[in-house]
Amino acid sequence: MDALTAYAANVAAAIRASLMDRTNFALNAAGMVVNDLFFLTLWYMFFAGFKRIGGWGLHDVALLLGILMCIVALSGIAFGGYRDMAASILRGEIDALLTQPKSVLARLLARESIATAWGDLVIGIWMLCTFAALSWRDIPLVTIGILCGTAVYVASSVIYASLAFWFAGARSFARELTDFMLLFSSYPGSIYTGMTRIVAYTLLPAGFVVLAPVSFLRSPSVATLAVMLASALGYTALAAVLFHLGLARYRRGLVPTG
Amino acid sequence: MPSMTPTARTEFPLAGTLAAAASAFAIGLRRNFANWPVLMGRALFYLVAMTVLSSLWDKVSSARLAGTLASSLPAGGLTLYIGVTEWIALGVAAIHLRLEDDIRFGMLEPHLLRPKSYLVQKIAECLGDTLGRMIGIGAAALIALGLSGRALPPPQAFLFAVILGIFAAAIGVLLYTVVGLCAFWVRRVLPPYLLMQKAMFLLGGIFAPISLYPAWLYRFAMATPFAPSLFVAGDQMIAPSAASFAQALLLQAAWIAILSGLIALVWRAGLRKVLREGV
Repeated sequence: MDALTAYAANVAAAIRASLMDRTNFALNAAGMVVNDLFFLTLWYMFFAGFKRIGGWGLHDVALLLGILMCIVALSGIAFGGYRDMAASILRGEIDALLTQPKSVLARLLARESIATAWGDLVIGIWMLCTFAALSWRDIPLVTIGILCGTAVYVASSVIYASLAFWFAGARSFARELTDFMLLFSSYPGSIYTGMTRIVAYTLLPAGFVVLAPVSFLRSPSVATLAVMLASALGYTALAAVLFHLGLARYRRGLVPTG
Repeated sequence: MPSMTPTARTEFPLAGTLAAAASAFAIGLRRNFANWPVLMGRALFYLVAMTVLSSLWDKVSSARLAGTLASSLPAGGLTLYIGVTEWIALGVAAIHLRLEDDIRFGMLEPHLLRPKSYLVQKIAECLGDTLGRMIGIGAAALIALGLSGRALPPPQAFLFAVILGIFAAAIGVLLYTVVGLCAFWVRRVLPPYLLMQKAMFLLGGIFAPISLYPAWLYRFAMATPFAPSLFVAGDQMIAPSAASFAQALLLQAAWIAILSGLIALVWRAGLRKVLREGV
Protein backbone atom coordinates (compact mmCIF):
# COMPACT_ATOMS: atom_id res chain seq x y z
CA MET A 1 0.00 0.00 0.00
CA ASP A 2 2.85 2.29 0.95
CA ALA A 3 4.55 1.53 -2.38
CA LEU A 4 1.35 2.32 -4.29
CA THR A 5 0.96 5.65 -2.49
CA ALA A 6 4.56 6.55 -3.26
CA TYR A 7 4.05 5.55 -6.89
CA ALA A 8 0.88 7.64 -7.16
CA ALA A 9 2.72 10.64 -5.66
CA ASN A 10 5.56 10.21 -8.16
CA VAL A 11 3.17 9.97 -11.11
CA ALA A 12 1.21 13.01 -9.90
CA ALA A 13 4.47 14.97 -9.73
CA ALA A 14 5.43 13.76 -13.24
CA ILE A 15 2.04 14.82 -14.64
CA ARG A 16 2.37 18.24 -13.01
CA ALA A 17 5.86 18.56 -14.51
CA SER A 18 4.53 17.69 -17.98
CA LEU A 19 1.85 20.36 -17.58
CA MET A 20 4.33 23.03 -16.49
CA ASP A 21 5.19 24.19 -19.99
CA ARG A 22 1.64 24.72 -21.30
CA THR A 23 2.67 25.50 -24.89
CA ASN A 24 4.85 22.45 -25.12
CA PHE A 25 2.13 20.29 -23.59
CA ALA A 26 -0.49 21.55 -26.06
CA LEU A 27 1.92 21.07 -28.98
CA ASN A 28 2.67 17.50 -27.93
CA ALA A 29 -0.94 16.50 -27.34
CA ALA A 30 -2.15 18.15 -30.56
CA GLY A 31 0.73 16.56 -32.48
CA MET A 32 -0.41 13.14 -31.34
CA VAL A 33 -4.02 13.86 -32.31
CA VAL A 34 -2.85 14.72 -35.83
CA ASN A 35 -0.62 11.62 -35.88
CA ASP A 36 -3.54 9.39 -34.89
CA LEU A 37 -5.74 10.96 -37.53
CA PHE A 38 -3.03 10.28 -40.12
CA PHE A 39 -3.00 6.66 -39.01
CA LEU A 40 -6.77 6.39 -39.26
CA THR A 41 -6.59 7.87 -42.74
CA LEU A 42 -4.12 5.14 -43.70
CA TRP A 43 -6.52 2.41 -42.58
CA TYR A 44 -9.51 4.24 -44.05
CA MET A 45 -7.77 4.29 -47.43
CA PHE A 46 -6.90 0.64 -47.10
CA PHE A 47 -10.48 -0.38 -46.44
CA ALA A 48 -11.77 1.99 -49.11
CA GLY A 49 -9.64 0.07 -51.59
CA PHE A 50 -9.89 -3.50 -50.28
CA LYS A 51 -13.14 -3.54 -48.20
CA ARG A 52 -12.41 -6.49 -45.86
CA ILE A 53 -9.47 -8.56 -44.72
CA GLY A 54 -10.10 -12.00 -43.30
CA GLY A 55 -13.54 -10.96 -42.02
CA TRP A 56 -12.34 -7.71 -40.41
CA GLY A 57 -13.89 -4.47 -41.64
CA LEU A 58 -13.22 -0.82 -40.86
CA HIS A 59 -15.40 -0.86 -37.71
CA ASP A 60 -13.58 -3.85 -36.23
CA VAL A 61 -10.26 -2.13 -36.81
CA ALA A 62 -11.67 1.06 -35.28
CA LEU A 63 -12.53 -0.84 -32.08
CA LEU A 64 -9.04 -2.34 -32.03
CA LEU A 65 -7.40 1.05 -32.55
CA GLY A 66 -9.63 2.76 -29.94
CA ILE A 67 -8.56 0.24 -27.29
CA LEU A 68 -4.94 0.40 -28.41
CA MET A 69 -4.84 4.20 -28.19
CA CYS A 70 -6.31 4.10 -24.67
CA ILE A 71 -3.66 1.53 -23.66
CA VAL A 72 -0.83 3.65 -25.06
CA ALA A 73 -2.34 6.73 -23.41
CA LEU A 74 -2.59 5.12 -19.98
CA SER A 75 0.95 3.76 -20.31
CA GLY A 76 2.32 7.17 -21.30
CA ILE A 77 0.50 9.08 -18.57
CA ALA A 78 1.04 6.71 -15.62
CA PHE A 79 4.17 4.73 -16.63
CA GLY A 80 5.85 7.23 -19.00
CA GLY A 81 9.37 6.26 -17.96
CA TYR A 82 9.07 3.02 -19.96
CA ARG A 83 9.77 4.85 -23.21
CA ASP A 84 13.30 6.04 -22.35
CA MET A 85 14.14 3.32 -19.86
CA ALA A 86 16.92 1.74 -21.95
CA ALA A 87 18.56 5.16 -22.36
CA SER A 88 18.27 5.81 -18.60
CA ILE A 89 20.04 2.52 -17.91
CA LEU A 90 22.81 3.22 -20.43
CA ARG A 91 23.31 6.78 -19.14
CA GLY A 92 23.84 5.45 -15.62
CA GLU A 93 20.83 7.28 -14.23
CA ILE A 94 20.04 4.29 -12.04
CA ASP A 95 22.97 5.20 -9.75
CA ALA A 96 20.96 7.90 -8.00
CA LEU A 97 17.98 5.57 -7.51
CA LEU A 98 19.99 2.72 -5.98
CA THR A 99 20.47 4.63 -2.77
CA GLN A 100 16.76 5.31 -2.36
CA PRO A 101 14.40 3.06 -0.38
CA LYS A 102 11.70 2.54 -3.05
CA SER A 103 11.81 0.10 -5.97
CA VAL A 104 14.16 1.19 -8.78
CA LEU A 105 11.77 -0.12 -11.45
CA ALA A 106 8.82 1.80 -10.02
CA ARG A 107 10.89 4.99 -9.79
CA LEU A 108 12.05 4.60 -13.39
CA LEU A 109 8.49 4.06 -14.64
CA ALA A 110 7.05 6.98 -12.68
CA ARG A 111 9.80 9.49 -13.46
CA GLU A 112 8.04 10.87 -16.54
CA SER A 113 4.53 11.44 -17.84
CA ILE A 114 4.36 11.76 -21.62
CA ALA A 115 2.33 14.74 -22.80
CA THR A 116 1.52 13.16 -26.17
CA ALA A 117 -0.40 10.42 -24.37
CA TRP A 118 -3.23 12.86 -23.69
CA GLY A 119 -3.72 13.18 -27.45
CA ASP A 120 -3.99 9.38 -27.72
CA LEU A 121 -6.49 9.38 -24.87
CA VAL A 122 -8.75 11.92 -26.60
CA ILE A 123 -8.74 10.06 -29.94
CA GLY A 124 -9.00 6.62 -28.28
CA ILE A 125 -12.09 7.58 -26.26
CA TRP A 126 -13.60 9.34 -29.29
CA MET A 127 -13.14 6.20 -31.40
CA LEU A 128 -14.61 3.92 -28.74
CA CYS A 129 -17.61 6.24 -28.33
CA THR A 130 -18.31 6.74 -32.02
CA PHE A 131 -17.14 3.69 -34.02
CA ALA A 132 -17.11 0.74 -31.64
CA ALA A 133 -20.88 0.51 -30.99
CA LEU A 134 -20.36 0.03 -27.24
CA SER A 135 -23.06 0.62 -24.63
CA TRP A 136 -22.75 1.98 -21.08
CA ARG A 137 -22.91 -1.61 -19.80
CA ASP A 138 -19.64 -2.33 -21.61
CA ILE A 139 -17.68 0.26 -19.61
CA PRO A 140 -16.47 -2.21 -16.91
CA LEU A 141 -15.43 -4.71 -19.60
CA VAL A 142 -13.60 -2.04 -21.61
CA THR A 143 -11.87 -0.87 -18.43
CA ILE A 144 -10.69 -4.40 -17.56
CA GLY A 145 -9.53 -4.95 -21.14
CA ILE A 146 -7.59 -1.68 -21.20
CA LEU A 147 -5.97 -2.34 -17.80
CA CYS A 148 -4.84 -5.85 -18.78
CA GLY A 149 -3.60 -4.64 -22.17
CA THR A 150 -1.68 -1.83 -20.45
CA ALA A 151 -0.01 -4.30 -18.09
CA VAL A 152 1.20 -6.45 -21.01
CA TYR A 153 2.30 -3.41 -23.04
CA VAL A 154 4.30 -1.78 -20.22
CA ALA A 155 5.76 -5.12 -19.08
CA SER A 156 6.91 -5.93 -22.63
CA SER A 157 8.49 -2.50 -22.95
CA VAL A 158 10.36 -3.08 -19.68
CA ILE A 159 11.57 -6.45 -21.01
CA TYR A 160 12.89 -4.76 -24.18
CA ALA A 161 14.50 -1.93 -22.18
CA SER A 162 16.18 -4.47 -19.90
CA LEU A 163 18.26 -5.55 -22.92
CA ALA A 164 20.30 -2.41 -22.15
CA PHE A 165 21.74 -4.27 -19.15
CA TRP A 166 23.37 -6.61 -21.66
CA PHE A 167 23.86 -4.62 -24.93
CA ALA A 168 25.17 -1.07 -25.40
CA GLY A 169 23.17 -0.59 -28.60
CA ALA A 170 19.89 -1.53 -27.02
CA ARG A 171 18.56 2.00 -26.72
CA SER A 172 17.08 2.41 -30.17
CA PHE A 173 16.54 -1.34 -30.52
CA ALA A 174 14.33 -1.38 -27.41
CA ARG A 175 12.35 1.53 -28.80
CA GLU A 176 11.99 -0.16 -32.15
CA LEU A 177 10.74 -3.34 -30.51
CA THR A 178 8.17 -1.31 -28.58
CA ASP A 179 7.15 0.55 -31.74
CA PHE A 180 6.81 -2.69 -33.65
CA MET A 181 4.76 -4.26 -30.88
CA LEU A 182 2.51 -1.23 -31.32
CA LEU A 183 2.52 -1.64 -35.09
CA PHE A 184 1.65 -5.33 -34.83
CA SER A 185 -1.12 -4.47 -32.38
CA SER A 186 -2.72 -2.22 -34.96
CA TYR A 187 -3.28 -4.99 -37.52
CA PRO A 188 -6.48 -7.03 -37.84
CA GLY A 189 -6.14 -10.24 -35.85
CA SER A 190 -7.22 -12.33 -38.83
CA ILE A 191 -3.83 -11.97 -40.56
CA TYR A 192 -2.00 -13.88 -37.83
CA THR A 193 -1.83 -17.56 -38.67
CA GLY A 194 0.76 -20.25 -38.02
CA MET A 195 4.18 -18.84 -37.14
CA THR A 196 3.04 -15.21 -37.13
CA ARG A 197 0.36 -16.08 -34.60
CA ILE A 198 3.01 -17.56 -32.32
CA VAL A 199 5.13 -14.38 -32.64
CA ALA A 200 2.09 -12.17 -32.01
CA TYR A 201 1.42 -14.04 -28.78
CA THR A 202 5.02 -14.26 -27.53
CA LEU A 203 7.88 -12.02 -28.73
CA LEU A 204 5.69 -9.10 -29.81
CA PRO A 205 2.60 -9.80 -27.74
CA ALA A 206 0.13 -7.81 -29.84
CA GLY A 207 -2.25 -10.69 -29.26
CA PHE A 208 -2.34 -10.09 -25.52
CA VAL A 209 -2.04 -6.28 -25.69
CA VAL A 210 -5.09 -5.69 -27.83
CA LEU A 211 -6.49 -8.76 -29.62
CA ALA A 212 -7.40 -10.55 -26.37
CA PRO A 213 -9.27 -7.46 -25.04
CA VAL A 214 -11.08 -7.09 -28.40
CA SER A 215 -12.07 -10.75 -28.31
CA PHE A 216 -13.17 -10.35 -24.66
CA LEU A 217 -15.37 -7.38 -25.65
CA ARG A 218 -16.85 -9.16 -28.65
CA SER A 219 -17.68 -12.32 -26.68
CA PRO A 220 -17.25 -11.87 -22.91
CA SER A 221 -16.63 -15.17 -21.12
CA VAL A 222 -14.67 -16.56 -18.19
CA ALA A 223 -12.20 -18.12 -20.64
CA THR A 224 -11.40 -14.86 -22.46
CA LEU A 225 -11.15 -13.03 -19.11
CA ALA A 226 -8.79 -15.70 -17.77
CA VAL A 227 -6.55 -15.39 -20.85
CA MET A 228 -6.31 -11.61 -20.36
CA LEU A 229 -5.57 -11.80 -16.64
CA ALA A 230 -3.04 -14.62 -17.00
CA SER A 231 -1.16 -12.79 -19.76
CA ALA A 232 -1.09 -9.56 -17.72
CA LEU A 233 0.28 -11.36 -14.66
CA GLY A 234 2.69 -13.50 -16.68
CA TYR A 235 4.29 -10.65 -18.63
CA THR A 236 4.49 -8.45 -15.52
CA ALA A 237 6.28 -11.20 -13.60
CA LEU A 238 8.69 -11.84 -16.50
CA ALA A 239 9.49 -8.13 -16.77
CA ALA A 240 10.18 -7.87 -13.03
CA VAL A 241 12.47 -10.92 -13.09
CA LEU A 242 14.46 -9.77 -16.17
CA PHE A 243 14.82 -6.21 -14.87
CA HIS A 244 16.11 -7.41 -11.51
CA LEU A 245 18.54 -9.85 -13.14
CA GLY A 246 19.85 -6.93 -15.19
CA LEU A 247 19.97 -4.70 -12.13
CA ALA A 248 22.15 -7.29 -10.40
CA ARG A 249 24.57 -7.01 -13.36
CA TYR A 250 24.43 -3.23 -13.08
CA ARG A 251 25.35 -3.36 -9.39
CA ARG A 252 28.36 -5.49 -10.29
CA GLY A 253 29.46 -2.89 -12.87
CA LEU A 254 28.98 -5.22 -15.86
CA VAL A 255 26.64 -2.95 -17.82
CA PRO A 256 27.98 -1.29 -21.01
CA THR A 257 27.60 2.43 -21.47
CA GLY A 258 25.84 3.88 -24.52
CA MET B 1 43.70 10.22 -43.45
CA PRO B 2 47.46 9.77 -43.88
CA SER B 3 47.52 11.57 -47.24
CA MET B 4 46.03 14.75 -45.77
CA THR B 5 48.71 16.89 -44.11
CA PRO B 6 47.79 19.49 -41.45
CA THR B 7 48.84 22.22 -43.90
CA ALA B 8 46.49 20.97 -46.57
CA ARG B 9 43.64 20.89 -44.05
CA THR B 10 44.30 24.48 -43.07
CA GLU B 11 44.47 25.62 -46.67
CA PHE B 12 41.40 23.64 -47.72
CA PRO B 13 38.94 23.64 -44.80
CA LEU B 14 36.35 21.82 -46.93
CA ALA B 15 38.77 18.95 -47.49
CA GLY B 16 39.35 18.75 -43.73
CA THR B 17 35.60 18.74 -43.08
CA LEU B 18 35.06 16.00 -45.64
CA ALA B 19 37.90 13.92 -44.21
CA ALA B 20 36.43 14.26 -40.71
CA ALA B 21 32.99 13.37 -42.05
CA ALA B 22 34.43 10.30 -43.77
CA SER B 23 35.98 9.24 -40.46
CA ALA B 24 32.65 9.75 -38.68
CA PHE B 25 30.93 7.72 -41.42
CA ALA B 26 33.42 4.88 -40.91
CA ILE B 27 32.90 5.02 -37.14
CA GLY B 28 29.13 4.77 -37.60
CA LEU B 29 29.53 1.84 -39.98
CA ARG B 30 32.01 -0.03 -37.80
CA ARG B 31 30.08 0.60 -34.58
CA ASN B 32 27.15 -1.14 -36.19
CA PHE B 33 29.20 -4.24 -36.90
CA ALA B 34 30.78 -4.10 -33.44
CA ASN B 35 27.24 -4.29 -32.01
CA TRP B 36 26.54 -7.36 -34.14
CA PRO B 37 24.04 -8.95 -31.72
CA VAL B 38 21.83 -5.86 -32.11
CA LEU B 39 22.32 -5.91 -35.89
CA MET B 40 21.31 -9.56 -35.98
CA GLY B 41 18.31 -8.72 -33.83
CA ARG B 42 17.30 -6.04 -36.34
CA ALA B 43 17.69 -8.47 -39.23
CA LEU B 44 15.61 -11.04 -37.39
CA PHE B 45 13.04 -8.40 -36.64
CA TYR B 46 12.89 -7.42 -40.30
CA LEU B 47 12.14 -11.04 -41.16
CA VAL B 48 9.39 -11.20 -38.54
CA ALA B 49 7.85 -7.94 -39.80
CA MET B 50 8.03 -9.20 -43.38
CA THR B 51 6.34 -12.44 -42.41
CA VAL B 52 3.41 -10.50 -40.95
CA LEU B 53 3.16 -7.92 -43.75
CA SER B 54 3.44 -10.52 -46.49
CA SER B 55 0.70 -12.56 -44.83
CA LEU B 56 -1.45 -9.38 -44.77
CA TRP B 57 -1.00 -8.82 -48.50
CA ASP B 58 -1.20 -12.51 -49.38
CA LYS B 59 -4.55 -12.57 -47.59
CA VAL B 60 -5.74 -9.51 -49.53
CA SER B 61 -4.43 -10.93 -52.83
CA SER B 62 -5.93 -14.37 -52.28
CA ALA B 63 -9.38 -12.95 -51.43
CA ARG B 64 -9.50 -10.91 -54.69
CA LEU B 65 -12.81 -9.35 -53.63
CA ALA B 66 -14.80 -8.12 -56.62
CA GLY B 67 -15.00 -4.35 -57.03
CA THR B 68 -11.88 -3.72 -54.93
CA LEU B 69 -8.30 -2.72 -55.75
CA ALA B 70 -7.21 -6.32 -55.17
CA SER B 71 -7.59 -6.90 -58.90
CA SER B 72 -4.93 -4.20 -59.62
CA LEU B 73 -2.28 -5.84 -57.43
CA PRO B 74 0.73 -7.30 -59.29
CA ALA B 75 0.60 -11.05 -59.94
CA GLY B 76 3.36 -11.84 -57.46
CA GLY B 77 1.73 -9.72 -54.75
CA LEU B 78 3.41 -6.86 -52.91
CA THR B 79 5.86 -8.83 -50.81
CA LEU B 80 8.97 -7.76 -52.76
CA TYR B 81 7.83 -4.13 -52.82
CA ILE B 82 7.30 -4.13 -49.07
CA GLY B 83 10.56 -5.99 -48.61
CA VAL B 84 12.38 -3.01 -50.11
CA THR B 85 10.40 -0.27 -48.31
CA GLU B 86 10.80 -2.02 -44.94
CA TRP B 87 14.51 -2.55 -45.62
CA ILE B 88 14.87 1.21 -46.04
CA ALA B 89 12.57 2.18 -43.15
CA LEU B 90 14.32 -0.16 -40.69
CA GLY B 91 17.74 0.82 -41.98
CA VAL B 92 17.47 4.54 -41.22
CA ALA B 93 19.33 5.29 -37.97
CA ALA B 94 17.52 7.20 -35.24
CA ILE B 95 19.47 10.46 -35.60
CA HIS B 96 16.58 12.42 -34.08
CA LEU B 97 17.09 10.69 -30.71
CA ARG B 98 20.80 11.53 -30.67
CA LEU B 99 20.15 15.17 -31.55
CA GLU B 100 17.35 15.38 -28.98
CA ASP B 101 19.66 14.04 -26.27
CA ASP B 102 22.50 16.40 -27.10
CA ILE B 103 20.28 19.47 -27.34
CA ARG B 104 18.05 18.67 -24.33
CA PHE B 105 20.86 17.76 -21.95
CA GLY B 106 23.15 20.65 -22.92
CA MET B 107 25.75 18.35 -24.49
CA LEU B 108 25.80 20.37 -27.67
CA GLU B 109 27.72 23.37 -26.38
CA PRO B 110 31.12 21.66 -25.88
CA HIS B 111 30.98 20.54 -29.53
CA LEU B 112 30.56 24.12 -30.71
CA LEU B 113 34.09 24.94 -29.54
CA ARG B 114 35.59 22.21 -31.72
CA PRO B 115 36.92 22.88 -35.22
CA LYS B 116 34.62 20.46 -37.06
CA SER B 117 30.91 21.00 -37.61
CA TYR B 118 28.93 19.06 -35.03
CA LEU B 119 25.98 18.54 -37.36
CA VAL B 120 28.02 17.33 -40.33
CA GLN B 121 29.81 14.86 -38.06
CA LYS B 122 26.52 13.59 -36.61
CA ILE B 123 24.87 13.19 -40.00
CA ALA B 124 27.93 11.43 -41.44
CA GLU B 125 28.04 9.08 -38.45
CA CYS B 126 24.34 8.28 -38.85
CA LEU B 127 24.75 7.68 -42.58
CA GLY B 128 27.49 5.15 -41.78
CA ASP B 129 25.26 3.59 -39.14
CA THR B 130 22.41 3.43 -41.67
CA LEU B 131 24.58 1.75 -44.30
CA GLY B 132 25.72 -0.83 -41.73
CA ARG B 133 22.12 -1.60 -40.83
CA MET B 134 21.13 -1.86 -44.48
CA ILE B 135 23.96 -4.31 -45.21
CA GLY B 136 22.92 -6.53 -42.28
CA ILE B 137 19.18 -6.39 -42.98
CA GLY B 138 19.70 -6.66 -46.74
CA ALA B 139 21.78 -9.84 -46.36
CA ALA B 140 19.03 -11.38 -44.22
CA ALA B 141 16.41 -10.29 -46.76
CA LEU B 142 18.25 -11.90 -49.69
CA ILE B 143 18.76 -15.17 -47.81
CA ALA B 144 15.07 -15.25 -46.83
CA LEU B 145 14.03 -14.42 -50.38
CA GLY B 146 16.19 -17.23 -51.76
CA LEU B 147 14.62 -19.68 -49.31
CA SER B 148 11.05 -18.47 -49.89
CA GLY B 149 10.84 -19.74 -53.46
CA ARG B 150 8.95 -16.63 -54.62
CA ALA B 151 9.18 -15.60 -58.27
CA LEU B 152 11.98 -13.04 -58.69
CA PRO B 153 12.11 -9.93 -60.88
CA PRO B 154 15.05 -9.52 -63.35
CA PRO B 155 18.51 -9.00 -61.76
CA GLN B 156 18.71 -5.31 -62.79
CA ALA B 157 15.63 -4.67 -60.60
CA PHE B 158 17.72 -5.59 -57.56
CA LEU B 159 20.58 -3.36 -58.68
CA PHE B 160 18.21 -0.40 -59.22
CA ALA B 161 16.44 -1.04 -55.91
CA VAL B 162 19.71 -1.21 -53.96
CA ILE B 163 21.09 2.04 -55.43
CA LEU B 164 17.80 3.91 -55.01
CA GLY B 165 17.35 2.33 -51.57
CA ILE B 166 20.68 3.70 -50.30
CA PHE B 167 19.83 7.23 -51.49
CA ALA B 168 16.30 6.82 -50.12
CA ALA B 169 17.75 6.01 -46.70
CA ALA B 170 19.96 9.12 -46.95
CA ILE B 171 16.80 11.19 -47.51
CA GLY B 172 15.29 9.43 -44.48
CA VAL B 173 18.31 10.41 -42.35
CA LEU B 174 17.95 14.04 -43.50
CA LEU B 175 14.21 14.06 -42.75
CA TYR B 176 14.83 12.70 -39.24
CA THR B 177 17.61 15.27 -38.81
CA VAL B 178 14.99 17.99 -39.30
CA VAL B 179 12.90 16.22 -36.65
CA GLY B 180 15.85 16.04 -34.25
CA LEU B 181 16.59 19.75 -34.68
CA CYS B 182 13.04 20.51 -33.50
CA ALA B 183 14.50 19.84 -30.01
CA PHE B 184 15.69 23.46 -30.09
CA TRP B 185 12.03 24.50 -29.79
CA VAL B 186 10.12 21.54 -28.26
CA ARG B 187 11.13 19.53 -25.21
CA ARG B 188 10.52 16.16 -26.85
CA VAL B 189 10.77 15.42 -30.55
CA LEU B 190 8.29 12.55 -30.36
CA PRO B 191 5.35 14.51 -31.90
CA PRO B 192 7.28 15.76 -34.95
CA TYR B 193 8.86 12.32 -35.28
CA LEU B 194 5.46 10.62 -35.31
CA LEU B 195 4.14 13.11 -37.82
CA MET B 196 7.15 12.60 -40.07
CA GLN B 197 6.91 8.81 -39.68
CA LYS B 198 3.20 8.71 -40.51
CA ALA B 199 3.65 11.09 -43.45
CA MET B 200 6.39 8.77 -44.66
CA PHE B 201 4.14 5.72 -44.24
CA LEU B 202 1.24 7.40 -46.01
CA LEU B 203 2.92 9.46 -48.71
CA GLY B 204 5.97 7.23 -49.05
CA GLY B 205 3.88 4.12 -49.57
CA ILE B 206 5.47 1.86 -46.99
CA PHE B 207 2.59 -0.63 -46.92
CA ALA B 208 1.22 -0.18 -50.45
CA PRO B 209 2.57 1.49 -53.58
CA ILE B 210 1.32 5.04 -53.93
CA SER B 211 0.49 4.17 -57.55
CA LEU B 212 -2.62 2.47 -56.08
CA TYR B 213 -3.77 5.83 -54.63
CA PRO B 214 -6.18 8.18 -56.42
CA ALA B 215 -4.35 10.18 -59.12
CA TRP B 216 -4.43 13.49 -57.21
CA LEU B 217 -2.92 11.90 -54.08
CA TYR B 218 -0.28 10.11 -56.15
CA ARG B 219 0.79 13.41 -57.74
CA PHE B 220 0.87 15.10 -54.33
CA ALA B 221 2.95 12.28 -52.78
CA MET B 222 5.42 12.43 -55.67
CA ALA B 223 5.90 16.14 -55.02
CA THR B 224 7.01 15.48 -51.41
CA PRO B 225 10.33 14.00 -50.20
CA PHE B 226 8.46 10.95 -48.89
CA ALA B 227 7.92 9.16 -52.20
CA PRO B 228 11.64 9.39 -53.12
CA SER B 229 12.47 8.11 -49.63
CA LEU B 230 10.54 4.84 -50.05
CA PHE B 231 8.30 4.33 -53.07
CA VAL B 232 10.75 4.89 -55.92
CA ALA B 233 13.06 2.14 -54.67
CA GLY B 234 10.26 -0.35 -53.97
CA ASP B 235 8.63 0.36 -57.32
CA GLN B 236 11.63 -1.15 -59.12
CA MET B 237 10.48 -4.53 -57.78
CA ILE B 238 7.11 -4.09 -59.50
CA ALA B 239 8.03 -2.30 -62.72
CA PRO B 240 11.82 -2.12 -63.16
CA SER B 241 13.11 0.16 -65.92
CA ALA B 242 16.27 2.14 -66.60
CA ALA B 243 14.22 5.26 -67.43
CA SER B 244 12.28 5.28 -64.15
CA PHE B 245 15.53 4.48 -62.32
CA ALA B 246 17.30 7.51 -63.80
CA GLN B 247 14.29 9.75 -63.14
CA ALA B 248 14.08 8.56 -59.53
CA LEU B 249 17.80 9.11 -59.01
CA LEU B 250 17.49 12.71 -60.20
CA LEU B 251 14.50 13.27 -57.93
CA GLN B 252 16.43 11.90 -54.97
CA ALA B 253 19.45 14.11 -55.73
CA ALA B 254 17.18 17.16 -55.86
CA TRP B 255 15.59 16.31 -52.50
CA ILE B 256 18.96 15.64 -50.88
CA ALA B 257 20.07 19.13 -51.95
CA ILE B 258 16.82 20.78 -50.80
CA LEU B 259 16.80 19.02 -47.43
CA SER B 260 20.49 19.79 -46.83
CA GLY B 261 19.75 23.48 -47.37
CA LEU B 262 16.73 23.32 -45.07
CA ILE B 263 18.77 21.60 -42.36
CA ALA B 264 21.46 24.30 -42.58
CA LEU B 265 18.81 27.00 -42.09
CA VAL B 266 17.10 25.23 -39.18
CA TRP B 267 20.46 24.50 -37.55
CA ARG B 268 21.50 28.16 -37.70
CA ALA B 269 18.15 29.33 -36.32
CA GLY B 270 18.32 26.77 -33.51
CA LEU B 271 21.88 27.66 -32.67
CA ARG B 272 20.99 31.35 -32.49
CA LYS B 273 18.20 30.48 -30.05
CA VAL B 274 20.45 28.35 -27.84
CA LEU B 275 23.22 30.95 -27.75
CA ARG B 276 20.70 33.70 -26.95
CA GLU B 277 18.31 31.97 -24.53
CA GLY B 278 19.90 28.62 -23.59
CA VAL B 279 17.93 25.35 -23.76
